[in-house]
Amino acid sequence: MTQSVTQPDRNAGGFNLFGFARSQEGVVVFLLVALMIVVAVFSAASPYFFDVRNGMNIGRAISIIGIASAFTTLLMIAGGLDLSIGAVMNAAGVVAAMVLTQTNLGVGGAIVAAVAVGALVGWVNGMFIAKLGINPLIMTIAMQFVVRGLTLGFSASASKVIVDPTFLAIGQSYFHIGPLAIPAPLLWMLLTMLVLWFVLRFTLFGKYVYAVGGKASACRRAGINVNVITIQLYMLSGIGAALAGVVLAAIQGAGIPYGAGSELSVISAVILGGVSLAGGIGLIEGTLVAVLLVGVLKNGMTLMGISSVFQMVAEGLVLVGAVTLDRLKRRL
Amino acid sequence: MQHAETTQGRPFLEARNIGKRYGGLHAVRDVNLSIYPGEVIGIVGDNGAGKSTFIKMLAGDHEPTSGELLIEGRPVRFSNPRDAKQAQIETIYQDLALCENLSVMDNIFLGHELTRNPVLRLLQRNKMHIESRVLLDDLGIGIPSTHELVVNLSGGQRQATALARVAKAGAKLIILDEPSAALGVRETRALLDLILRFRSQGKSILVISHEMRDVFEITDRIAIFKRGELIAIKRTKETTPDEIVSLIIRGRQ
Repeated sequence: MTQSVTQPDRNAGGFNLFGFARSQEGVVVFLLVALMIVVAVFSAASPYFFDVRNGMNIGRAISIIGIASAFTTLLMIAGGLDLSIGAVMNAAGVVAAMVLTQTNLGVGGAIVAAVAVGALVGWVNGMFIAKLGINPLIMTIAMQFVVRGLTLGFSASASKVIVDPTFLAIGQSYFHIGPLAIPAPLLWMLLTMLVLWFVLRFTLFGKYVYAVGGKASACRRAGINVNVITIQLYMLSGIGAALAGVVLAAIQGAGIPYGAGSELSVISAVILGGVSLAGGIGLIEGTLVAVLLVGVLKNGMTLMGISSVFQMVAEGLVLVGAVTLDRLKRRL
Repeated sequence: MQHAETTQGRPFLEARNIGKRYGGLHAVRDVNLSIYPGEVIGIVGDNGAGKSTFIKMLAGDHEPTSGELLIEGRPVRFSNPRDAKQAQIETIYQDLALCENLSVMDNIFLGHELTRNPVLRLLQRNKMHIESRVLLDDLGIGIPSTHELVVNLSGGQRQATALARVAKAGAKLIILDEPSAALGVRETRALLDLILRFRSQGKSILVISHEMRDVFEITDRIAIFKRGELIAIKRTKETTPDEIVSLIIRGRQ
């Protein structure tokens, strides 16, 4: 704990640059500046980059990570961690596809079933972590195996093709606003972030997310039911992953049981966005800009002909750079 | 002086033969203590004398293994801190139990937030900031802004924030564990004034302290613990620091 020496003048009305740089809002501003620089560099480097249609491509590409990362932001601010979300995404896609092809519950039934699976996995995670005090890392890795295994078993390791046009529209249609054609997944991501931003900023639940992440024992003593909040957050994490999985299945036109898990991309975007691993600090705005930044980097590198292998390296380096800066700024 | 008579009438809390054992170890044994409204009781004793275990039983952190607790004459059982809170007993531990990442206002209202709309439960920030300001001013607590994050506060300001929260919760008995341990001279002064202000509002205060000067300045009675037992209760006005120290070290005379 850094015990800051008395700073009585900090709120005397003056603007404190160092204080701002350390604050969670400062991180967002820093990321925005980084994003603008990256956009400027790629715009200069490639004639195809600075273009509305390319922007929309980026939007679609980041939407899956974006939806899941919004929910993960809440969980991680509260000091939690969920590594089972990649497996839940695949499971949700497969469940939705199987409900569509093997029942007559329709698109609504498929989405509800997928979300129910996510909520159930989250509930199991939350119960073990909150009530028994199991380490979230271990618990959610274990659930990752369980869910992945079950998904492969129930689907006989085969992709489930989706032909329902209404369902496919979730991932493949566009919303036309004036001359803009916004891909549906981008819209879902922005809506998700808007709702969770509102929750974090204006509601009691949002306040408790920060409070539990700040000091769970203090919340407990203040009469807040920390276990319930923890379980709700893991359920939300599972639901978010399921929603992302539904959109992913709609984009791919299939529920794919063996896709590579994207949980690490989600978690690294959230950390890049300024959420403290120790909990208590972070903003949805930061996650949004971080997801955009990673998406822009990948897209720009693709346009410049840099292979996806090196893009992975770059994504890793950006994260290392971000956490290093985060460490250094505390010495300001 | 009025509080000479405070030990008259009905006690707010009464501990009868209360004890706590962990396996073969008797941490606290057969303690009898009545706490009256508007009274400050100091709890003193060497390390391991059972002071902390005793207050934790009153705070609902530990359940007693023997004896009984009465609140305003009615027997109660505290199996967790929430039960004690419901009985209007609030405890401030040395770590203060504040969320450092949140503002002064957030911490004052933690667990008692004002909201509107029963479904969305939207926070009424402005109202809470105004009420916090009024509360801090009433208590004479010098914190410039209720928006300030607790991480940026001094030790005394943190202590005051914790006390303001307790006052907000409407506690009738406030238990303080070593409140002045981390405070400077001026901050300790402010703390003692705050405790006396609580007493004048009719609240009971139980304070564990090693600082004899503080104990003699603010308490009405002093309870001396030794090896898990309450060996003596002295009226502060009828004793001396020397006598208390001798009781702490040598036990019964």
